[in-house]
Amino acid sequence: MNNLRFVQTMMKRLSKIFMSCLLCFLITDGVQAQITEKPGFGKFAITNATLHTVTNGTIENGIVLINGEKIEFVGKNAKITADYQQINAEGKHVYPGFMDSGTILGLQEVGAVAVTNDQAELGDYNPHVRAFTAINPSSVSIPVTRVNGVTHVISLPVSGRIAGKGALIDLFGYSPDSMAVQPNAALHLTLPASQQRGWWDDRSDKEVKEAYEKSMKELNEFWKKAEFYNKMMTAYEQNPKGKKQPDKDEKMDAMREVVTGDIPVIITADKKQEILDAIEWTKERSDARFILAGVEEGWRVAEEIADAGLPCLVSTLYTPERDFDNYQRPYQNPGKLHEAGVKVAIATGESENVRNAPYHAGYAATYGLGVEEAVKALTINPAEIFGVSDRLGSLEEGKQANLFISDGDPFEPMTTIEQVFIRGYKIPMVSRHTQLYEEYLNRDAVKN
Amino acid sequence: MDRFSKNKQRRTAMKKLLLMIFILGFATATYAQEKGSVLVKNGTVITIANGDMENTDVLIRDGVITEIGKNLDAPRGVQTVDATGKYVMPGIIDAHSHIAGVDINEATNPVTAEVTMEESVDPNDINIYWALAGGVTSIHLMHGSANVIGGQNETLKLRYGSSMEEMRFEGAPRTIKFALGENPTRVHGQGYGVQPRTRMGVEQVVRDHFDAAIDYQRNREAYLQAKAAYDKNQRGTPPVPVAKNLRMEVLSDIIDGEVWVHCHSYRADEILMLMRVFKDYGIENFTFQHANEAFKIAPELRKNGARTSIFADWWAYKFEVYYSTAYNASILNANGVNNSINSDSGELIRHLNHEAAKTVHYGGTSKQDALKMITLNPAIQLGVDDKVGTIEEGKHGDIAIWNGHPLSIYSICEQTYVDGKKYFDRAEDADDMRLEVNPEENYDETYTRWYESGKEEDSCLRGAEILFDSEGMSINGGTE
Amino acid sequence: MNDKMPLLNLLNINLSINEVMKLVRNLSACMLLLLFLVSSLPVKAQTSPARAFDNVTIHTADGKTINSGTVVWRNGIIEAAGSNVNIPFDAYVIDGGDSLHVYPGFVDGLALWGSPDLPDRYERPDRPGKPGYERAGIQPQRKPSDLLNSKDKNLEEAQKHGFTTAALGLKGHMLPGQVDVFFINGENTGDYLMKTSAGILASFEDAPGGFGSAAFPSTTMGVLAQYRQLWYDAEALMNQQQYFASAGSNYPAPAKDAVLEALYPVLEQSQPLYFVVDSKENIELLLRLKDEIGFNAVIVSGKEAYKMADELNNRNIPVLASIDLPDEPEWKKKEKAAEEDTTQAGERLEELTEEMRIFRDRQLRAYEASITNIKKLLDAGVKVGYASNGMKLSDLSGHVKTILEEGGLNEDQLITIMSQSTADILDVGGRIGDVRNGRIASFSVFTKPYMEEKTKVIYSVSSGKLTEF
Repeated sequence: MNNLRFVQTMMKRLSKIFMSCLLCFLITDGVQAQITEKPGFGKFAITNATLHTVTNGTIENGIVLINGEKIEFVGKNAKITADYQQINAEGKHVYPGFMDSGTILGLQEVGAVAVTNDQAELGDYNPHVRAFTAINPSSVSIPVTRVNGVTHVISLPVSGRIAGKGALIDLFGYSPDSMAVQPNAALHLTLPASQQRGWWDDRSDKEVKEAYEKSMKELNEFWKKAEFYNKMMTAYEQNPKGKKQPDKDEKMDAMREVVTGDIPVIITADKKQEILDAIEWTKERSDARFILAGVEEGWRVAEEIADAGLPCLVSTLYTPERDFDNYQRPYQNPGKLHEAGVKVAIATGESENVRNAPYHAGYAATYGLGVEEAVKALTINPAEIFGVSDRLGSLEEGKQANLFISDGDPFEPMTTIEQVFIRGYKIPMVSRHTQLYEEYLNRDAVKN
Repeated sequence: MDRFSKNKQRRTAMKKLLLMIFILGFATATYAQEKGSVLVKNGTVITIANGDMENTDVLIRDGVITEIGKNLDAPRGVQTVDATGKYVMPGIIDAHSHIAGVDINEATNPVTAEVTMEESVDPNDINIYWALAGGVTSIHLMHGSANVIGGQNETLKLRYGSSMEEMRFEGAPRTIKFALGENPTRVHGQGYGVQPRTRMGVEQVVRDHFDAAIDYQRNREAYLQAKAAYDKNQRGTPPVPVAKNLRMEVLSDIIDGEVWVHCHSYRADEILMLMRVFKDYGIENFTFQHANEAFKIAPELRKNGARTSIFADWWAYKFEVYYSTAYNASILNANGVNNSINSDSGELIRHLNHEAAKTVHYGGTSKQDALKMITLNPAIQLGVDDKVGTIEEGKHGDIAIWNGHPLSIYSICEQTYVDGKKYFDRAEDADDMRLEVNPEENYDETYTRWYESGKEEDSCLRGAEILFDSEGMSINGGTE
Repeated sequence: MNDKMPLLNLLNINLSINEVMKLVRNLSACMLLLLFLVSSLPVKAQTSPARAFDNVTIHTADGKTINSGTVVWRNGIIEAAGSNVNIPFDAYVIDGGDSLHVYPGFVDGLALWGSPDLPDRYERPDRPGKPGYERAGIQPQRKPSDLLNSKDKNLEEAQKHGFTTAALGLKGHMLPGQVDVFFINGENTGDYLMKTSAGILASFEDAPGGFGSAAFPSTTMGVLAQYRQLWYDAEALMNQQQYFASAGSNYPAPAKDAVLEALYPVLEQSQPLYFVVDSKENIELLLRLKDEIGFNAVIVSGKEAYKMADELNNRNIPVLASIDLPDEPEWKKKEKAAEEDTTQAGERLEELTEEMRIFRDRQLRAYEASITNIKKLLDAGVKVGYASNGMKLSDLSGHVKTILEEGGLNEDQLITIMSQSTADILDVGGRIGDVRNGRIASFSVFTKPYMEEKTKVIYSVSSGKLTEF
């Protein structure tokens, strides 16, 4: 026990040291760490490109006009006036910006340094806690991510039963306010486990069942109270005359838009039984909206998920859940879900490697989902799932100008993403990684 | 019992019989450590040594590539595989792996040179099969990164279905694991209150132990000589025994150049430190593993003949990799450093071809060089480049057949051969390719071993997690 | 007071009340004393030099069944065992009524009965890399005979399960201690040491403590390296001690090291290691180590030994096998129950996917392979005995049932394994292990044949001492 306390003190001390080191670096190493190039903004005309609109097919030799934050035109023939900065994209491709539907980008900076991790608050029921508050717009991982074509992501809290609310953010901006497409995009919920949690869990079946039932009861009561609170507050708000104003409950207040279905609930469920439990649970709460995430064994119960009408946020780069699973299952999972009629979107779960989202999709495409559907899983599907398809998810006039120009298929690692636009801003194609490349490729070269 | 259930019973029995025959067939085919023969016809052969050869045949006899050419005939008894439209490349070699291991870290002492992964092999790990399905034929099973001087590593061939002994890569040089930076200072300095706690201490641990090994070597030699003399003549005073010390023996072997060093390291300055130390002790053969900041000192690495084996794009999970770049491989390659791409993960190893492709994406490394980083270069780093790493006559028949260029994300590995024997065939792949079954594990116990899912940066630290877990993301979040 | 008087009057005894009370008191005291003396007398030993069971069915270790047999023993040695035996005039006979069954006393090749328990927790050593021998679990010098806890209930339980002899080991880790062979006699076991230091118990167990309080060695590969180093250190110490003895002067005195010195006989191969291993890979590692540093080995437990049966046979390595079989798969149990329950015949055929079918097939085959371990070893010619190695005595009958019904062993084979074979492996096969003339009297008397349900041990004779249950 002494050792543990010693270690805890050491850890606190070290955390302080790390934090000051980190601050020092960020301040003094300023020139290298920050991107100093300014983005472009205004009117742009991308010409002669193959346009992958997603919702209206592919247009060869197409033109995309960007005006301010919006896409002004998508098509073949347009009169381009001189005030438009022209980008000749002959031989290139234009795609809507990719979206990663499940990340901790901006919340986690360095995994091993606890003080730089803001994705997991203490406690089990934190519906009022918001990722929006803690996302660091200066996270080094944000530029690293966007230069690969991922332009907007959901960043989620992850811990306990109800972890908090995730935000849908554009990967450009100097404040969470300016970055947020939806400050409260979804609530993140993990249901209690009705089975052992893993190979290390050696509780007896009885113990597991008891713990499960206890936790379920707790959750169900919480939800019921939330529904009641909403009803009560609504009643008061609609006609306060003669009523005593109820005290505000932060957590319950935060649950109001959840129980009404105004914002969806993302339920993390990986194993078959977890998924079935989740489906069961959501059936009884038809006012709210639900989305499944993780869903690693979704392929086992694809029919059930489709019947329940639940969309799924999935990835492909993990190892099979059971050691007697076929080796391809993770790759095949999105395809099998789609085949059964489930709407799938890509969620990597990453922080610094969100840039690999297109590759997760690429593997899904190769093993059954197909390229077209895989592109949808990164664009229009998540937009629809999170209710922002009026502004994101495809190359359509009037939508937000989140898009990129590539010299080929963005799923192929050999392809270069040449230019990214986020909300109409022409993003400097620069990140810590490119800066270090510039500096060190020919380290000893001197300028004359 | 009614007729319906009787028929069902009969059908089940039939299925059981067929299954038994299949399993038996599989079992007898794999348990003998055989070398195989096969003629792979008409594929695009990525030789690595001599460029790509279209419409070319590769003949393997008794585990050795005997001929590469056009219009070859299959000798009697040798099967032909039609590779028209396919790509044939050398089996991928993963220079940093922890699959097929039992324990990874003997984390109780900063120096544990005496332990060896040779005695920590689990030949029944399903991850071996999953790696074969990704075109991998050899791995460098490494000790973990908890200690400054860890245990010896073991180079293995993925002969799935063989015994521990049969998986060894015969003739591969001995290698040992070193580790610098956060991991050993965290495990020992912070965790146990034992030096090293800083990078300064790490250097001293190495030097102190090298010095002790040199002293030991001298004293032990002297004792053995004196003992031989005394035992023969029985005259004079007998010598005081210097006990054989396994740890010191291995350290001596490192200094003598008989054991190659593979050092887990990240920061440029600590890499420079170790090169300085190695220079002082005359150690010439070393590879830096991970080496996220190697790009900062590419010229020094080349000058010292140092090699690197790195991730394609992992970074930022620890502070010492916060200043990384995915362009690391391209920078190193452009500056003439022998570099390989490794996995250090049961997940990445499944698609090392794709990891190699990222070096094209980040910095424009040529496709040939990208493929070299998962074939010839790791072979050189493991000292087995005379046997594997390219498709050349005289080398081992370790190859994989892909249905597209291996660097394309759409390409799938169709067959994998080790010593000319087919260990993976997608057309014959079934669910449940386990070798051993635990009779007490039930169907719904879906345990993903934690070291296999998602982020693996701590797989190197497996067994030494102690008190400092990295706060990794888990979309499978939630506690109980 | 007055009530007593009429009785005495009737007997024409003229005594005062006080005198009567005194008399009664004295008589009671005498009675009590006599009773005490009589009850504490070991009537059997003192009044009868020999003992016998008559009209019993004798089951010998070599497979013979003798009906209406007689067993006679004197001074702890069996004088006669068979049919048509002349019972000596001075033998105290217990008649079996032709309903009792005599079996050779079972021999447990490695039991942990009477061993002190392991501590609940272990402190982290100051230097995990140098924890010292004891903290690392390296204690080959310890002897069960020095540490035996005679109050351990197992020592009595064992007799009730038919055991009369056991090679006792200590609970521990890598090298817990020596192996001492005892006759099992409940609380008095400590007095009946048959053979000390039959071997040294060994395993690949790492140092105790687990996460956070680990000590070297904490991995199997670490343990292997430690074995090598112990051998090198012992060799050096041995040399130094020899040199010191032969050199008259000018030579430093060697340290005394109980741990290393305890290993000398193993290095010199005059004492074997009783090595606890189960998996095939660990057996391979054991054989490699054996070839490299040199020692004799007896395998204890050996649950996967059948995979190395030929190798073990070629090397003449015996196996004191575990009967701690895995549980039958749940679904199989349900299936069996459903088959026997005729009221639900054919009603509920569980929906099985192809995947589940394959999984269950393989699981069942793995289960069957585990329970036929001993059979396969026997078939390959390996010398097989029995060891509990910590298995609960209460689990024994269940596993015996499984191994006879499904494990491919017949009753004779099992009895032999649990008696003569184990005795042979312990190198005391000439003394115990069977019910025959000349052997030390160690046998159990069951109320029914051993394999039958509800059979019980009613008498246990261990080194001649009889205990009735």
